[in-house]
Amino acid sequence: VTARGGRRRASGKAEREFVGEADEILERMRGHLADLAERSSDGGEVPPELVNGLFRAAHSLKGLAGLFGFEPIFALAHRLEDLLDALRLGRSALDAEALDRIERAVGLFAELLSRVGDAAALAALEAPVAALAAELARHGPARGGAEAPAPGAAPRGHEAAAQRGEAERGACLPATRRQAAREAAAPGPVPGAPPPPARPDPLAELGLDRSLLAALTEYEEHRLRESLARDRNVLLAEATFEILSFEEGLAELTQGLAGMGEVLSTLPAPGECAESQIRFSLLVASERSAEEIAAALELPGVSIRRVGGGARGGGPSPEARGVESLQSPSETVRVDIRKLDELMNLVGELVIQREALAAFTARLAAEPATARSASELGRIQKDLERRVRELQEAVLEVRMVPLRQVFERVARVVRRLRSELGKEVRLEILGADTELDKLIAEELADPLMHIVRNALDHAIESPDERRAGGKPAEGLVRIEASQRGNHVVIAVSDDGRGIDRAALRARAESLGLVRPDEALGERETLDLVFAPGLSTRSEVSGTSGRGVGMDVVRTNVTLLGGIVAVDSVPNRGTAVTLTLPITLAILQVILVEAGGRRFAVPLAAVQETLLVDPCEIQRSEGREILDLRGAALPLRRLAAELGLAPAPPGAKLFAVVLRMGDARLGLLVDRLEGQQDAVIKPIEGPIPAVRAIAGAAELGGPQPVLVLDASGLLAEAHGRREAA
Amino acid sequence: MSAARPAAPRAWVDLARHAARPEARDQGLVHAQRLLVFELDGAPYALPIERVREIVRRRPITPVPRLPAEVLGVISLRGRVIEVIDLRRRLGLGARDPAPRSRIVVAHDGEGRVVGLLVDSVEAVVPAGEVAPGGGPAVAVEGLSRVGGRFVSIVDLDRVMDFDAAG
Repeated sequence: VTARGGRRRASGKAEREFVGEADEILERMRGHLADLAERSSDGGEVPPELVNGLFRAAHSLKGLAGLFGFEPIFALAHRLEDLLDALRLGRSALDAEALDRIERAVGLFAELLSRVGDAAALAALEAPVAALAAELARHGPARGGAEAPAPGAAPRGHEAAAQRGEAERGACLPATRRQAAREAAAPGPVPGAPPPPARPDPLAELGLDRSLLAALTEYEEHRLRESLARDRNVLLAEATFEILSFEEGLAELTQGLAGMGEVLSTLPAPGECAESQIRFSLLVASERSAEEIAAALELPGVSIRRVGGGARGGGPSPEARGVESLQSPSETVRVDIRKLDELMNLVGELVIQREALAAFTARLAAEPATARSASELGRIQKDLERRVRELQEAVLEVRMVPLRQVFERVARVVRRLRSELGKEVRLEILGADTELDKLIAEELADPLMHIVRNALDHAIESPDERRAGGKPAEGLVRIEASQRGNHVVIAVSDDGRGIDRAALRARAESLGLVRPDEALGERETLDLVFAPGLSTRSEVSGTSGRGVGMDVVRTNVTLLGGIVAVDSVPNRGTAVTLTLPITLAILQVILVEAGGRRFAVPLAAVQETLLVDPCEIQRSEGREILDLRGAALPLRRLAAELGLAPAPPGAKLFAVVLRMGDARLGLLVDRLEGQQDAVIKPIEGPIPAVRAIAGAAELGGPQPVLVLDASGLLAEAHGRREAA
Repeated sequence: MSAARPAAPRAWVDLARHAARPEARDQGLVHAQRLLVFELDGAPYALPIERVREIVRRRPITPVPRLPAEVLGVISLRGRVIEVIDLRRRLGLGARDPAPRSRIVVAHDGEGRVVGLLVDSVEAVVPAGEVAPGGGPAVAVEGLSRVGGRFVSIVDLDRVMDFDAAG
């Protein structure tokens, strides 16, 4: 099935570049969209910069797709841009339908991107793209009907260019050009748009020069009216900068103003100034007064005056929000994840060299003749070790991404599902800042989505059913992430009906997975949900009945080196817990020996190691167990598990206690050899996937050492009903 | 130049000899232009040269449990961990202890999967002669090529690597 890291990737360099950049835009769109959905469901005012941000992103995506010639994305982005343009101009209302269409468009973009480079797969999406594009077009503003630009539409293109220019860069275009564009492109009345003001135009009452008003783009004008309607102070800030360095000064001013209000427009200002200087007027809407803002800005050469609005008077803004400044606010560099893999590999090689040096130093120290040089060398080696560790940590950190990105995708699906399913569900997300290796986070999205879908689809009852059962009509699904040592734990819990154990068992019996007379413990019964082909509700639903079940979730999570556990209380709810390693790259391992061979066990999965006297081992149901502080610890002899020669009877043994989540297993080995850092490499060859072996590591010796797959061993010992 | 010039490597001699023959330039059925010839159990076998990534000396192999007996285990090769197959056993020729001339031929199939093949010795790179279909159904040999007056068995790498069907 899915091999680790076996996702198809766009092949050509141009395609990779396109996908990388487009992915980034999509991520931005998802962020805006999530905020937007949050705000609009609260019923509050929708922050204009969110819609504008989405608009800008759609515009960038369209440009990018056009540049690289990806027609379906271009076409869809074009339609989306039109829709968003109408929204940001207030020509059409941001309702649930519009939100849904935007969400679906973003989903389709992601789908299209994942198929770049695969012509057949892309062709399969032609119909959905066309359908959604048509839907978006219907939603968009009625602008002379047809899509084909009418002869009179050229000025509108002009205006759009001006708007977008402003939206993209905040660049100032000559006022005359804007004016010409404005005059030629007066929008007609649009259904759903606010009716034209009955009283005299409020803009005329502003103490503003007519030429300045005429230079506003449609969007800027819309925002200005909106601000007046909300009784905000409209202020005009004027500043003079040296032409050579105006960008810096203007950026500083814009940023400062944006912190206290909304910068509606930035325009080159008329007025006297030296030839080497340039004047700007910034139109600002704010809850604060001109005096307050001037005092807070502390910028010389900037004058600020109120030109209108503000019936409610001043007072500090309750929510000072930033608007995009001229300069990129983040000082980040986008890096191909494969380059990070390469870097990681190099660090890995360095780690191996360090281990080799340490081994050599130890050998020298054992010889009396070289012991003195060895202690010197040891000191240098210790220094090197510290630096290598720092480097290693720094590189690992670069790969980490917050889970927020994944959770936001899940949240979108929840919003869509709850309306589809007619259920009232609140989604609570905790610990979204928890960080995880980018690759693991990516691979985590599907299993997580499936678990959440299950909760909405099967676990949460209908509002009526819930009320009848004495629960609040609104169900709760909570996703909570936290870091525990080298693992990230993600728990998805709901307050739904819980798993019906009897029904689960009956179904397992009918599938022949359990004999009718077989006694199963509580946990074993619940673990049946991970058996292939099992679902307690027999009807196939459009939401989670897609032929994949919790068995696929378990398989995928195990491939990532994690484990999944389920817990459920009837009528109270279900919790599915994923435990994942933070990174797959460099791990600390414990070296063990069994059957005359060395193996490495990832330290993250090791709870403790024990010296075991063979006579302490007890038996239960044909399996060996050990009394570990009063609890029964299941045991497996590693040599026997791997078909190797057993240790002589009676010899002392060691138990490596593996633990992930609640699952525990004592792995009996012949010897323990200490800890090391290891870079785990996948095994390449005709038979790459060997159960219980996660890969191999180079540990400074001439031959690789096999690394045991702790999650695989735990699953083998516990989930005996898994697909073989 | 003097007569003390060292002898050309065998591969070059073979190449020159073949290039001189008219039929070497007109190879109808041939899959590969050049073959890497190696020895297994006293007989010549070959792989198309574009399947061969490199040839390395025998090095310590880590056995991997739960794999078929023909898979000797894994080796490290510049940061990669690669499975090594005993090609003698894979072709049903019977195992033998490795000798000093044993080599591991690192090859890759059309899909980019990599494998190490343990062979008794590596002989030469030669232009392929005409290939006649041959080899039994149980043996992963896709044909015979006449090279330098003898038949060389061309190993079918895809079948060697396909453990689902063969075993």
